[in-house]
Amino acid sequence: MDSMSQGDGAAIEAVLAGDRDAFGELVRRHSRMLFRLAFRMTGNEADADDVVQDAFLRAYQKLATFESRADFGTWIYRIAVHCALDRLQRRRQDDARRVSEDYDPEEGGVQVADSKPDPERLAISTEIAVLQEAAMRGLTATERTAFVLRHLEERSTEEIAAVLDVTPNTAKQSVYRAVQKVRRRLTQLKVMA
Amino acid sequence: MKHYSEEELVERYYNGSTGTGQAGAGDGHLDECAECAAAFAALEIDLAAMRPVEIPEKSEHYGEQMWARVEAALPSRNLHAARKPRLVLWRGLAFTAGCAVLVTASFYGGRLYEHLHQPPAIQGQRRAPAGSPQQKVVVVVLGDHLDRSERLLVELKHADPGSPELVNPLTEEARGLLAANRVFRDDAQREGDPALTQALSHLDQVLTEIANRPGGLDGAALERIRNEMNADGLLFEVRVLRSKNPHRNKTVRVMARGGAA
Repeated sequence: MDSMSQGDGAAIEAVLAGDRDAFGELVRRHSRMLFRLAFRMTGNEADADDVVQDAFLRAYQKLATFESRADFGTWIYRIAVHCALDRLQRRRQDDARRVSEDYDPEEGGVQVADSKPDPERLAISTEIAVLQEAAMRGLTATERTAFVLRHLEERSTEEIAAVLDVTPNTAKQSVYRAVQKVRRRLTQLKVMA
Repeated sequence: MKHYSEEELVERYYNGSTGTGQAGAGDGHLDECAECAAAFAALEIDLAAMRPVEIPEKSEHYGEQMWARVEAALPSRNLHAARKPRLVLWRGLAFTAGCAVLVTASFYGGRLYEHLHQPPAIQGQRRAPAGSPQQKVVVVVLGDHLDRSERLLVELKHADPGSPELVNPLTEEARGLLAANRVFRDDAQREGDPALTQALSHLDQVLTEIANRPGGLDGAALERIRNEMNADGLLFEVRVLRSKNPHRNKTVRVMARGGAA
């Protein structure tokens, strides 16, 4: 067990013994790592901050179930992936609702939600980030998670399967479908450019 | 020559990667097959466009800022309190288990004490032979019970009230049949056999009347049982049951001197 894990273990014991401030140590220690993951998954700084906060809140509530033999970093990473997944799914539902609310019967068609980033976001995003965000727009939350973990976080198929609670083959298929969709979307974007 | 599918190319891209995501070096097929090599190169270009984005750099105070956000949103009760229900549950279980052990120990302790301090006379009584008349248990078969009942009803039908030597044995026989009849009737009721239940209930009334009539059976009593209690009808029911009942091999255990075992 490395020194960080030992430090995590002591902090967890302290929190479980009633020292709430000890949880602050865990938050300080793992926030930046979780932010990187959350940003890659959500592509958005504000959402990433919310995901990190949600992950720590969920971890605090479930801390009594945490097995002391396990690694807290791995555990909170998995929680953060699920928080990001939830946020992505909510975002897709919101987008779908917005599309249905924008339906104009007189026009007889559907006005698709604007996929272009707003000016503020454009200002803080690089061109690559915008392109990537556009390419990943068609992915389901699970596909996006699998792709981010495989392509950006460089996690193995088995690790992705463990995080998503699916079989390795399902994880592999999710990555493959994500790559297919991303490539199709990139082709469309190139044509439009 | 078999070409790689897109899925195989994706697999090759990631499995060959050692951090850079590059693959294909030294792959014999990709070296020889221009089509697959071109497909793999196109995949590499597409996926390179999805290379890791520049992540906004967070200051070293980010953890502190995040803790401020998390702390403000934490539930008021602490985890110690959250653990309490589980602790209370375990304490409750431990208390229950302790009580159970105490009760069991008291029970067996009491039995042991009683055994050690019993007067010899009582101990002697307890060791009475199993074959004692009070404890005798007999096994009765339903078919036999119905046979005996049928014979009793036939004798009842033809009994002469003026011959007590013929009537009195009926009373004894009815007493002998009563206990088993009640057990069979209760079983039939429990098992949902209405025909058998009804017949045995009817038989129970007749047997009770014969067995418990104060002063024995006289002419008036015989007449009443034959007519008012429809002994002939009961005889017919018993005969039908004896010949057709699928449970005629069923057995019950009864005390030889009345009462079910």
